[in-house]
Amino acid sequence: MYDQIFYLLYILSFVIGSIAGLVFSYKKYTEPFITRNIDLIALILAIIGWMLVLNYPLISIIPSFVTIAIGVFLIAIVIGMRPGYGRYETIIGFALAGLIWILRTVIL
Amino acid sequence: MNLMANILLNVIISFLVGSVLLGLQRKVMARIQMRPGPPIIQHLLHTFKFFLKESAFPKTAAMPFYIAITAMLCVIWVAAVIVGPVTEGSLLLFFAIYAIHKIVEHNAGSSSGSPYGKLSCVRAVFSAAAEVPLFAVLIIIYLKTGTMILSNIVTYQNQHGALLLSIPLAALMFFVLILSKSPYSPFAITKGKDIVSGYETEHFGLLRGYLMFSESIAWYMLLWIFLTVFIGGLNPVGYLIGMVVITAFVAFINALTPILNPNHSVMTQVTLAFIGIVGSVILLLY
Repeated sequence: MYDQIFYLLYILSFVIGSIAGLVFSYKKYTEPFITRNIDLIALILAIIGWMLVLNYPLISIIPSFVTIAIGVFLIAIVIGMRPGYGRYETIIGFALAGLIWILRTVIL
Repeated sequence: MNLMANILLNVIISFLVGSVLLGLQRKVMARIQMRPGPPIIQHLLHTFKFFLKESAFPKTAAMPFYIAITAMLCVIWVAAVIVGPVTEGSLLLFFAIYAIHKIVEHNAGSSSGSPYGKLSCVRAVFSAAAEVPLFAVLIIIYLKTGTMILSNIVTYQNQHGALLLSIPLAALMFFVLILSKSPYSPFAITKGKDIVSGYETEHFGLLRGYLMFSESIAWYMLLWIFLTVFIGGLNPVGYLIGMVVITAFVAFINALTPILNPNHSVMTQVTLAFIGIVGSVILLLY
């Protein structure tokens, strides 16, 4: 049953993060996604978020559900940005975190 | 955890996940059609928006049925959550819930007094003739597993492997049922854009919010039943991945096909149901 409570926590993190990302990105960007620049703040959030979700065992002092919930929240902020924005940042964040996951679980 | 808390937890999960999945479907469809598309949480935001909007009631509406029907739709899909994830009860009850859903769809259209709603109401009856036979899949599952209880079906699959592999045509039939309930589907004739929003056209504000709330739960439940019955007991992450994959696949189909006219829609589903039933029986016998 605790699984379901954690599951709800992650979903709520995702929804709240998406709404926050949408609101902030509409304030920050006044025009549609045309210039394909990378947003540094979004990139940092995406890398930290994906890192926390995929590599939560590396942080053993915090309970895993807290780490994952924070990670999902950060990922959702970037994914939930105004359409088009956050796309490259998400891919880079996922790739870096995935690389560390492979190093951690498969190679080492 | 007591039963009420369990029900509440599962209803909230099914509503939130269902809403996000319906948003994902729109996003995938948009990307295929070379549009940026709405944010993934758009369906959820729409639902919340309607709960805050002013409700208006058409003069032609058949009161109090027009209002009660939205509550009924909520009740039946909350009942589906109780039958499904909460108690893992009988598939027959789920069939009953789906049958009532068709009746509610029919009556929501007719009670509004709108010509669009009435056309949708007729189409709901028409499409029921095609969709309900797809539930022959239940009989095939019973013949294969000897039970209708979801928990027993999961146990059967743990011992004998996923039903998706042993009765694939039944899975295909159930998938067609899922497809028919998805927005913008080739079989979604009750909400075809030629009749505006079908049976939902004259439901505004709070009432529309209830309808969208129910739609989200309905989408989650159809996917949940499919994954449980044909793949077996999954953990929450497994369910989530499965639901995302099916939703994305459905979005591909919906983005690349037009909504069929009612005759073609019904005949296509009847044909698929016929192939599925006959093929499954042959597979069971040999």
